[in-house]
Amino acid sequence: MSEIDSRILRHKVESINTLPTVPAVLKKLSAVIEKPKITVVEISSFISSDPALTSKVLKMVNSAIYGFPGRIASVSHATMLLGLNVIKGLLLGVSVFELMQKTMNGLYEHSLACAIASRVIAQKKELKEPEEVSVAGLLHDIGKVILLLEFSEPYESAMNEAREKNLPIFEAEKNRFDATHADVGGWLAEKWRFPRNLIEVIQFHHRPALAKNAPLETAIVHVADMLVRARGFGFAGENLVPEVNPVAWELLKLSDQDIRDILSEMEDNMETAEEPT
Amino acid sequence: MPKVPVSQLKPGMKLAKPVVAKNGMVMLGEATELTQTWIERIDDMGIASVFIDGPPVQTVSREDALSALDARFAPIEDKPYMKNLKKIVREHIEGLYE
Repeated sequence: MSEIDSRILRHKVESINTLPTVPAVLKKLSAVIEKPKITVVEISSFISSDPALTSKVLKMVNSAIYGFPGRIASVSHATMLLGLNVIKGLLLGVSVFELMQKTMNGLYEHSLACAIASRVIAQKKELKEPEEVSVAGLLHDIGKVILLLEFSEPYESAMNEAREKNLPIFEAEKNRFDATHADVGGWLAEKWRFPRNLIEVIQFHHRPALAKNAPLETAIVHVADMLVRARGFGFAGENLVPEVNPVAWELLKLSDQDIRDILSEMEDNMETAEEPT
Repeated sequence: MPKVPVSQLKPGMKLAKPVVAKNGMVMLGEATELTQTWIERIDDMGIASVFIDGPPVQTVSREDALSALDARFAPIEDKPYMKNLKKIVREHIEGLYE
């Protein structure tokens, strides 16, 4: 019952900078972060040249999403500490916040909670760079934004179908687009030159067993997404808890106390990690 | 650890984070139990809200929260690991209303 050919969809995603439905702020950002050899200095200048953006980025950097104990007071400190990929991801996160809220109310809250949960799990698993997993958690559903912007009627019908038949949203998406928001997110991450691991996490967060390069990080975002939905933070297309993938679950070996800790961390920080105004 | 506006502060509430004056001086330490006097003092300082110890104020009732939990878990409750997960989440949610 595919209404839209996935090749057309992919083409649209790759030419996002030309789509009339995409707001200027995202196009501008897209043009910057897709540059092939962009440096940390260039990104830093891009942020610093906009006081409002600087403020939003610093607020997010110092929030529970990243869990830094110290205060990061400057953009250059942030870029030096976090690195290019995390800063790019963070920039996207703050820039699409309003867009997320407009296209799907509750999506930003869901994404924020997922970023926090991903970071906590990554720290428990002693990953060297939990911030990178945090970014993946923040952006894992960005594909939904583009789908809603460019194909609002079919997507809304997908959401209706999901609600009426108790289907996960990605199944209803597959019925109409022959692709899911995970695929779209993966294409976007590729376009924006994120590293292969991050692309993979976004692409396979619903099918973590397919992640060959970053199985652990993918499992983390998969489980984080499930936990956010289990707790009921935000809204991401429908109100279902997905069944956790057993391979991913067993890879993480989270104890009952770990789960409680993750839930508490999300709970404590959801009101403080508000909109980056 | 909710952020509570000054107008909703009540004596007996405990601070989750210190109240700091504009010059950086700590006026009230973490874990201070608020009295009416302290609340008025905080208001006089022009502070809009403070972090209070305890679970966040819930916007939905306990019944609604738990029935929503049941509804979203219903289709997959019998899948591997999900029953135990639901139990942990349920206990967490119940803890928010104590």
